Amino acid sequence: MRVLDRTGEKLDLLTVNIGPSHPATHGSLRIICGLEGETIKAAVAEIGYLHRGFEKMVERGTYQQVMPYTDRLNYCSAILNNIAFSKAVESMFEIQITERCKVLRVLMSEFTRIVDHLICVAAALADLGAQTAYFYYFVPREDAMIILEKLTGARLTNSFSRIGGLYRDTYEGFETDVLDFLKKTEESLSDVFKLVDRNRIFLDRTQGIGCITPELAISYGWTGPCLRATGVDRDLRKDQPYFDYQTYDFDTIVGTRGDTYDRLMVRLFEAKESISIVRQAIKRLKPGPINVSDPRVSQPQHEFAYHDMEALINRFKLVYEGVRVPQGEHYDALEAANGELGFFITSDGTGNPWRIKVRPPCLTQFAAFHNLVEGGMVSDAIACLSSINIIAGELDR
Amino acid sequence: MKTLGTDYTKALVPATAADISCAQQSTFDWLASRFPLDQDPLAKLSTSAIVRREDLHEVVQALRDTPEFAYDMLIDIIGIDYLNYPGHQGPRFAVTYLFKSMRFAAHRFQLKVLVDEEDLVVPSLHDLFHIANWAEREVWDLFGIRFEGHPNMKRLLNHFEFVGHPLRKDYPAQKRQWLSTNDPLLDQLEARLRENGMELIDPIPLNTPAVEDVIKGSRR
Amino acid sequence: MSAEIENSPVPQQEAATLPFLTTSLDAVINWGRSNSLWPFPFATACCAIEFMSLMSARYDFARFGTEFMRFTPRQSDLLMIMGTVTYKQAPILRRIYEQMSAPRWVIAVGACASSGGFYDSYCTVPGIDHIIPVDVFIAGCPPRPEAYIEAAVQLQEKIKDESFLTERLARLRDRGEDLPS
Repeated sequence: MRVLDRTGEKLDLLTVNIGPSHPATHGSLRIICGLEGETIKAAVAEIGYLHRGFEKMVERGTYQQVMPYTDRLNYCSAILNNIAFSKAVESMFEIQITERCKVLRVLMSEFTRIVDHLICVAAALADLGAQTAYFYYFVPREDAMIILEKLTGARLTNSFSRIGGLYRDTYEGFETDVLDFLKKTEESLSDVFKLVDRNRIFLDRTQGIGCITPELAISYGWTGPCLRATGVDRDLRKDQPYFDYQTYDFDTIVGTRGDTYDRLMVRLFEAKESISIVRQAIKRLKPGPINVSDPRVSQPQHEFAYHDMEALINRFKLVYEGVRVPQGEHYDALEAANGELGFFITSDGTGNPWRIKVRPPCLTQFAAFHNLVEGGMVSDAIACLSSINIIAGELDR
Repeated sequence: MKTLGTDYTKALVPATAADISCAQQSTFDWLASRFPLDQDPLAKLSTSAIVRREDLHEVVQALRDTPEFAYDMLIDIIGIDYLNYPGHQGPRFAVTYLFKSMRFAAHRFQLKVLVDEEDLVVPSLHDLFHIANWAEREVWDLFGIRFEGHPNMKRLLNHFEFVGHPLRKDYPAQKRQWLSTNDPLLDQLEARLRENGMELIDPIPLNTPAVEDVIKGSRR
Repeated sequence: MSAEIENSPVPQQEAATLPFLTTSLDAVINWGRSNSLWPFPFATACCAIEFMSLMSARYDFARFGTEFMRFTPRQSDLLMIMGTVTYKQAPILRRIYEQMSAPRWVIAVGACASSGGFYDSYCTVPGIDHIIPVDVFIAGCPPRPEAYIEAAVQLQEKIKDESFLTERLARLRDRGEDLPS
């Protein structure tokens, strides 16, 4: 295809299609580019290859049955999705969760945030050719999977949170397992940091690549680590604290230029901050109930259900009809690993949700993708794509 | 994009739930003094406004560009179908807009536009927020609400041969539709080239072979 | 191949000293094929994350001969479909399968690829066997890495039962030709 440049120069462009089944498009995305040599002159992204109908499916079940579907939104940090959804439903009930549940939720959120960042950075470095980092990171990540399996019964799709609490309390020896994991993670984080810190290839391939200005990023609705990489100091954990985040001591990591390097480094350092939050949370873990004793949302204990008529009816209603959320509409969000993850819930007062809309942080980042890659090389587009951490399950729902 | 001189590198003062509802109330009052609007009866936990369709663009622009509010981030656009919703009166569809401010931690606001089934058109906000482009395409795909002035009103999530709008309440959840071949996307690439200031001399040749040809070619 | 050696007409002690080995062509070819499966990961969703675990140090899928991941269907003989396949994706999956050269095998990983899983909706294909033939299904949402390994071993067993010559004959008959004399 031939085009006339702004300067009146005649260019012969090549049309190249990347994806939807391509090793660098984690999941299934499609980008079509017009190339002049190796320089991208125009890029158009297409999504929807993993559109599984989340929002239609959840309208059929009860609120509790939505939980497994939320696991499969961002499957790298499933527990964060569970917690985000239960927090949204709880805020419609206006109930306060118990103290231990709050601490455990913070602990598990940060724990999965570490795992998510590990996967993102490992995959990004593997895309750049640094396969070593992938092997270094997957050692602590496998330890994390073992802890999650012991705690929740599943490796990846945990469904750990419940409306008004959590699925279960921790097992014996949970704290030592987690502390052990944190130590190993710190080691592998610093190992990989040493690998890339002054690595000429890594710096040349990431610094100044895929830059975006804060104004443009905000207009695209960017949130989370990618927005902070552009130098915008905004974090929902700090700005609108939930689960008593204001009492934890941690820093927001902010970049300067908004390039691929900043996005990866913000994630690396954020994982370190999360490690410190998990340590603080472990110190705060005190014995206590993890589920609220509100008959509207939580089931009565077994011994009551077996001997008390009202408790049995309550249990039956909760299982059969589900949690009856008060009629109305509400949006509630928290800071997930990728940015602001929100749920907009419309309830008609029955046990089945009328409409649940997810606000996926990935979508906003991928919508700006053509701005990041145009003017760069094709290989830079790959580095860029892995640094914004697109999770197809969340992107397409 | 207008920045209103916000210093993004400075951290904000944390906001409590009381701050958020206070900010919503003051935003609502400020808007009510300028535009005809109603309070959304369904948003029971927040103060949200229902604006008239013809005012929407103006209202959003005012919210974004007024320094006291500075709602400079569009969080999401949500379509809702109220077919047979208990106690619902009025138009069948609604489009909800969620805004957030990067300047004040407490500022979050929600706007709603009601859309009648006979006239499914809402003004587009793609000139105010970049993300509106994709968010509006999604609403069009799932609900069939058109956004007037949108440069590329195509489906976002479903394939281009899809008929109907799946998130409407009267669309059966299991009604499946096969796709024969993928969208070549060349018209969008051409549009993007023009946006980048290039002029096409000859159109892009469609060199994607049909699936049948590929199957025939790979048969031994 | 020990069975073939035992049944050979040369006495066993003598055979052990001979500088060659007799066996059937099928056994040799299947031995080679089953132990060097080169997978093409058609990764769409959650199961792909478990696949990353599988390729990393702890589970080390390479032990089973699947050393190379090939990202082009032309160079691979094992297609692993990990994750949900939607109607938008279906023509692509079909095309990738058609691009693979024979012999080719398919593993459907996880509930979504096998049956659509709990996404019984307007946009998901209820099982990829609506599009392409499948050799091994793996249950689980997502399956554990051990399940992937079991599927690979099962597939190896299956390959060992195949007959290279019969296959070729059938292919020639399909084309209306006869065996070359």
